[in-house]
Amino acid sequence: MFQLGLISFAASMLAMLIALVLTISQLFKRQVKLTKSIVTLANISFGLHTLSLLTLMAMQVLQDYSNAYVVSVINSVMPTVLKMTAVWGGQAGSLFFWSWMLNLVLFISLHVRRQIQDGWSFLFTAVNLLFFGALSLFAENPFSRVWLLESEEILEGVFSPAAGATVYGGISGFGLNPLLRHWGMVIHPPILYLGFALFLVPFSIAASYLIRGESGEGLLGETRLWLLSAWVLLTVGIVLGSWWSYDVLGWGGYWAWDPVETASLIPWLTSTGLLHSLLLQKQRKIFKRFNFVLILLTYIMVVFSILITRAGLLNSVHAFGESRISLPLTLMTLSLFVVCVALLAWRWRLLYSGWELTSLVTRDAAFLYTNVILISLTIVCFYGLAYPLITGVFTGNQIGLDRTFFDQAATPLFILLAALMAVCPLSAWTVNSVKQLGKAALIPLALSVILEGVYYFFLTKSWLALSVLFVVTFGLLLMLTLTLRDSKSPRAAAKRWWGHRARHGAWFVHAGVLLIALGIVGMEALEGSIQGTMIPGDKMPLRSYQVEFIQLTTEYENPEYMTIEAELVLWKDGKVVDKLYPGQHLYENRGQYVSIPDKQSTLRGDFYTLLLDYSSMMGYVTIQASDNPLVNYMWIGALLMVMGAILAATMPWKSLQLDYVDQGDQELPR
Amino acid sequence: MRTSLKKTNRKTIIAVLVIGVALIALLIATTRSSTQYFLTVSELQSGEADMTGRNVRMSGVVLGDTIVYDPQTLDLTFEVAQIPGDHQVIKEMGGMAVVLEKAAADPTLPRITIYYNGVKPDLLKHEAQAIVSGSLDANGVFQAKELLLKCPSKYESALPTQAGK
Repeated sequence: MFQLGLISFAASMLAMLIALVLTISQLFKRQVKLTKSIVTLANISFGLHTLSLLTLMAMQVLQDYSNAYVVSVINSVMPTVLKMTAVWGGQAGSLFFWSWMLNLVLFISLHVRRQIQDGWSFLFTAVNLLFFGALSLFAENPFSRVWLLESEEILEGVFSPAAGATVYGGISGFGLNPLLRHWGMVIHPPILYLGFALFLVPFSIAASYLIRGESGEGLLGETRLWLLSAWVLLTVGIVLGSWWSYDVLGWGGYWAWDPVETASLIPWLTSTGLLHSLLLQKQRKIFKRFNFVLILLTYIMVVFSILITRAGLLNSVHAFGESRISLPLTLMTLSLFVVCVALLAWRWRLLYSGWELTSLVTRDAAFLYTNVILISLTIVCFYGLAYPLITGVFTGNQIGLDRTFFDQAATPLFILLAALMAVCPLSAWTVNSVKQLGKAALIPLALSVILEGVYYFFLTKSWLALSVLFVVTFGLLLMLTLTLRDSKSPRAAAKRWWGHRARHGAWFVHAGVLLIALGIVGMEALEGSIQGTMIPGDKMPLRSYQVEFIQLTTEYENPEYMTIEAELVLWKDGKVVDKLYPGQHLYENRGQYVSIPDKQSTLRGDFYTLLLDYSSMMGYVTIQASDNPLVNYMWIGALLMVMGAILAATMPWKSLQLDYVDQGDQELPR
Repeated sequence: MRTSLKKTNRKTIIAVLVIGVALIALLIATTRSSTQYFLTVSELQSGEADMTGRNVRMSGVVLGDTIVYDPQTLDLTFEVAQIPGDHQVIKEMGGMAVVLEKAAADPTLPRITIYYNGVKPDLLKHEAQAIVSGSLDANGVFQAKELLLKCPSKYESALPTQAGK
């Protein structure tokens, strides 16, 4: 098994290296097109890489404890699915899995109907792939074995560390960290990785355009679907992470500006900006330079994000700890940056496209504002992450920024962004249309003002929450009004709607973001909680709810942990509405327990309960109960964002033009 | 048309500049109010007079016997002992897991009491690495606003990597 895994991995990297050398020699001969043999080699490389990945999975499922990685993430009683997915449960495995993802993406890009790789873009893709493959092969090898020395010492290494050492399979595995045993955490990494990896293709193609000195008209059409899919997966990945921390970490938090969260948000911000400004280039033939910068920057930020996650430079719940791959990763990030800056500088004149705006209220201007805010947010996130690293280099002792930095600096920008999204449907390509559309906004505006009064008297007095609520209400009502305006003949309306699905898709995405903002207001401003110790029969009130404690149960069904559960009855307005079972899983072997919250989820919000403490002997429990209104709109909003992006993606790039021509003047009904 | 476009652009440039300046002001202001000093236990205690009340982030090893938790009030106190702050030093000593184990067993190292109000984290146990943010009060107790815990896998420490590589 070890031989099969390691050799196929090494051979896969070798095949890729040969393909790279061939490509370079072709490029010397001014042959930009990829030859058959290069594609074949890349296919072979992908096949072997996959074989190697499957071997590692098999070793995990078969519990081959001579493998050091298997020892660190597997134990005999884990369910088979978790044994397989533990590939991305630890440092070495997840790095290996990432390199496989890059190979997968390369494979797809070589085999989609319109093959978009040429020699130069292949060069960039392969270099990145080989870099991460080499890190995995030479620094963090997942096939590393456990050795028993003659001195009875145990060492880890790919090859025998000393004469007389034998492979040792006697350590039984420790098992995957219990916190990661949640289906959100099982699918979060691959989705996020795939999203990250997909950005490599547009990056390579943009680099190829720059080298070939092409003006870059075709770039966006070629890469739009890649960018959109990457963006969708990245969105899903980030939201899943957030949902996991709400659902598992127990304190009901959904976002903590943890360095790794922040790092994964940066490529999302830059690619979101890109999805906007590429429309400007399409429609108005402006902002071409900006688009090139964003495509290149997004992938560089992906590598930076991996650096932050893997290198353990910053304290974080995600980081696997300090490691020897931080130096190569830092160098890689820097060299990608330098290469891109050089390429852009070289072709800067060629990329000139002008940036004249029609006016300050038309759609092109709105896109510009959006991007200014998105870039500002990117700067805030990057600055916040880089600050401790930079001060560390210059002053020796580390000075960092705490969470309040991100809260204070990012909140106003996010509110501005939400406000822009709310008024976005009012923007059109010409001043005339804007004026016309403005009239349509009157009813939603009046309604939101009235509702704002309702919020003030019944929901919250916080001006911050109120302003967000206003923006959200207005934005959603406006989109609804404009969508329903021409519903006299449903068939025609549906046809028109489908014809403009790129625009409606974008509105869905915006509505999704506004719903997420609603969820955030719920969590930050409207949440209420209480904790108390109860004996059976006791009731604890929270708002219109009451929690009654029935009994404490203990179960030994799972071989790995003991389950302790409090049986609670949830009352609302004097009626029983639900039964809740918050509990703890006690992993005695690890000396660790994991809290398992339980909640009643409705559209109104969550009633969230957590078992803080208990005594089986005395029969009491301490429960924390929280009322989290509106929280589920975060997940609904995320779903809407994804659906909207997919809807927009079904619109071919060529027809996008028609969709946006003077929509205000001709297409919107009077 | 041409001139009106230029006028629009001039306005745009001004707008972007204003936003840029506002952003820089925002960054400077928030940097000031959220600056946090990364210190070890001994660094914090040696400069006690200096650091009292300042926003500090500190890391130490949890001493299991000292954990006192009242689930009624969510009052949590425990002691942490000094561990080095430098990754390089930790690596030379044999990795984080070894450092934590040694530090927890060594009574000569500087220690500090942490107070935190909130739900006791699942990972708070003996030999865990605690990363706390907050400030030192007048009594020498560290008032933590944020508490983060890490448990390095014991198996990783049981498997030292090949020497000299």
